[in-house]
Amino acid sequence: MTDKIEYPMLPEPRTVRLRFKKTGALQYISHLDLQRSFIRILARAELPLWFTQGFNPHPKLVFALPLAIGTESVCELADIRIERDMPCDEILKRLGTASSGGLEFTDCYVPSAKFAEITGTEYTITLELGEDDAKAFSEKAFETLTSSPIVIRKRTKSGEKEVDISGMISRLRIDRKRGNVTINAVLSAGEGNTLNPENLLDALRAATGLPDAETEYSCMRLKMLCKDGAEFR
Amino acid sequence: MFSSSMLKSISKPGRYAGGEFGQIIKDPAAVDARVAFCFPDAYEIGMSNLGMRILYGVLNREENISCERVFAPWIDMEDKMREKKVLLCSHETGTPVKDFDFLAITVQYEMCYTNVLNVLELSGIPLRAENRDDSFPIVIGGGPCSYNPEPIADFFDLFDIGEGEEMLPEIVRLYAEMKKKGCTKHEFLLEAARTIEGVYVPGFYDVTYNGDGTVRAYTPKYEGVPAKVRKRIVKDLDTMYFPDKVVMPYIECVQDRIMLEVFRGCIRGCRFCQAGMIYRPVREKAPETLLKQAKCLYENTGYEEISLTSLSISDYTKLRELTDGLIEWTDEKKVSLSLPSLRIDSFSRELMEKVASVRSSSITFAPEAGTQRLRDVINNNVTEEDLMRSAGIAFSAGKEQVKLYFMDGLPTETNEDLEGIAHLAEETVEEFYRTPGHSRRAPTVTISVSCFVPKPFTPFQWEPQATMKELIEKNNYIGSCIKSRKVRYTHHDAKVSHIEAILALGDRKLSAALELARSEGFRFDAWDEFFDYDKWMAVFAEAGIDTAFYANRRKADDEILPWDVIDCGVTKEFLLRERNKAYAEKTTPSCREKCSGCGAACLGGKDICCPSAGNKGEDR
Repeated sequence: MTDKIEYPMLPEPRTVRLRFKKTGALQYISHLDLQRSFIRILARAELPLWFTQGFNPHPKLVFALPLAIGTESVCELADIRIERDMPCDEILKRLGTASSGGLEFTDCYVPSAKFAEITGTEYTITLELGEDDAKAFSEKAFETLTSSPIVIRKRTKSGEKEVDISGMISRLRIDRKRGNVTINAVLSAGEGNTLNPENLLDALRAATGLPDAETEYSCMRLKMLCKDGAEFR
Repeated sequence: MFSSSMLKSISKPGRYAGGEFGQIIKDPAAVDARVAFCFPDAYEIGMSNLGMRILYGVLNREENISCERVFAPWIDMEDKMREKKVLLCSHETGTPVKDFDFLAITVQYEMCYTNVLNVLELSGIPLRAENRDDSFPIVIGGGPCSYNPEPIADFFDLFDIGEGEEMLPEIVRLYAEMKKKGCTKHEFLLEAARTIEGVYVPGFYDVTYNGDGTVRAYTPKYEGVPAKVRKRIVKDLDTMYFPDKVVMPYIECVQDRIMLEVFRGCIRGCRFCQAGMIYRPVREKAPETLLKQAKCLYENTGYEEISLTSLSISDYTKLRELTDGLIEWTDEKKVSLSLPSLRIDSFSRELMEKVASVRSSSITFAPEAGTQRLRDVINNNVTEEDLMRSAGIAFSAGKEQVKLYFMDGLPTETNEDLEGIAHLAEETVEEFYRTPGHSRRAPTVTISVSCFVPKPFTPFQWEPQATMKELIEKNNYIGSCIKSRKVRYTHHDAKVSHIEAILALGDRKLSAALELARSEGFRFDAWDEFFDYDKWMAVFAEAGIDTAFYANRRKADDEILPWDVIDCGVTKEFLLRERNKAYAEKTTPSCREKCSGCGAACLGGKDICCPSAGNKGEDR
């Protein structure tokens, strides 16, 4: 680092929220691996991190919601804690030089809301099915995802169990453009009540046989939402 | 490039996704030569290799050369690739390996030989060099196994013997020049073999054998091709290229830390140890260089641990200066230090506190053998007293777990030596209770015993390996000698060690067996879950290979060994002298105490720890 400005110590450590995109190759990195890598990115950026005071000091790092492998995102959030008064734009600049393409920091601010207030996430899922399958699939998909109950087998901490996910999907929209089908939906999020795009795809697989092992598809998290439907910040 | 449907249907897709911070992507059209650098094992193993980090950087530093990474795909990915007929590609640009100018493979251990062949196969490259025309990449081998490359010689066009930092760019530069002139592969290989020291082109030698199967002669086919290929070393480690920028893997790797190479070589000369011989002469980096490099690496990686990697780190002459200098900033940054290779006789309280791996309650020592007699035979030069003193320091600092490394099947070994292993472990338990201020928890002393594998370029290269039956008996006998319930005993699988010995000591006749193993679907033999001893023995039998000839035969002192075509600096006379001293149970002082005339001084080198530096070695 070239600039060696000593930022003044803060009277209390400050929580700072980072917004970032996790796209491309980074979609294949698990939540746990991302956490580990994040610590190193923060160190490379030489941020004035505050360390926990225990026997094994470590920086504070909390993610809003884990992102499943194979899903991209343009709206990830993580909180860190700093001990010096470094401005947010400086933090953002430093993170930019310390990270690579698929991980792009887009905002940095002092948060006012808690992650627990997040109740939903908006996703878009694009399936490349080809003209022949697309029409039948999109109709069947809409029918399936608007029916009730929608029962899938979901892996939880206490093993696999059957869950009705019909109440966890809202604002569903399915578009078809040439051979591509796009599913846009808000899925519920939050402790014990999280629906992932893969869960949704499981329901569709059971009903339509698609997507199968040959299908190219992508999932993107677009927004994290509050209870009132506004974007969480 | 792998499709997203492939990546979504396999385990750990992060192994193949690329996109790491620090990877170097160059426009293929803007370079004169492209090198695919392959570590033939899983991504998380390969990304942990310091040599690969160095050579990736050293090649990409050249403006007109690009180097991209390749690893062995895990079996689930391999199945997908075969099913969908997808060829192996590079990480950086997803270019098929077969479209590169070079495929450079670092061969770190014998048990990856089948992976080497699998990588060729998955790349769509014919296995044998003689079956590859000029349209295929030139396949280069390097790494520790290239000191006896003979079992895999038929599959490679060229081997780098020794350290690659200077040699590998020289080879690629020469190629780029000759390619412009429209030269053939043969012309390039010949020019490289003639003009670049350390280049070994196996195809340029006629190999003949005696009636008993031993080597009769290696004869160069062309004028100017060296009869013996001398290994290359980097003379000055302080000015040598070092990778300040590191590709940062996102997924967890075996070595997720800064690897700070402090020196090369080892002053000790343990008689079983190949690394201690082939990396001679000892060359150190100056502490100022290391402190600068460590800081720079931390800034570029953000790793939370620095490992001082060298063969016997406590032999570094400026260790105190180095650790003190590091601690000046590492403590504040919460970066921990680790010293993975501490010798028992140099262990101190001060050192332990500096490396303060607070989290670890265990510490490892390597007495290697159970009695003083056998420790003298192998020239490991530590005593029971050293061990008790070191263990005592660890116990008084609150540790209650000690791990002890041993070997069995060593030359001249008797049951008494095996009993000694159990004795040392039990004495270490006693030492725990004798140490004032020991932890209140009960101690555990774990002994881990591996089977001796004779290696080329060691004083024990003429020795037979104990037979499978003997090795199993020895492993069991040690177990039966342990009475204390505070001693835990683990041992390596003798079956793996046996195959390792065959491959380590083999000649070119083994290539047929390896080819057969590959066609039977062998791969990932370094992984317990895929290693199948019975299948290996069946393959050797089918290929007509007498495994005992390679692994269990005592070689005559004047026998021409398959690896005699390589000159690693250390002379055969020295190795033989050491072997005879082993039989006489006489030790040899370290290089720092007295020069024993191993011959490696002839290679030169700055700041080498060798009294005869600058002169010719005693034997030359």
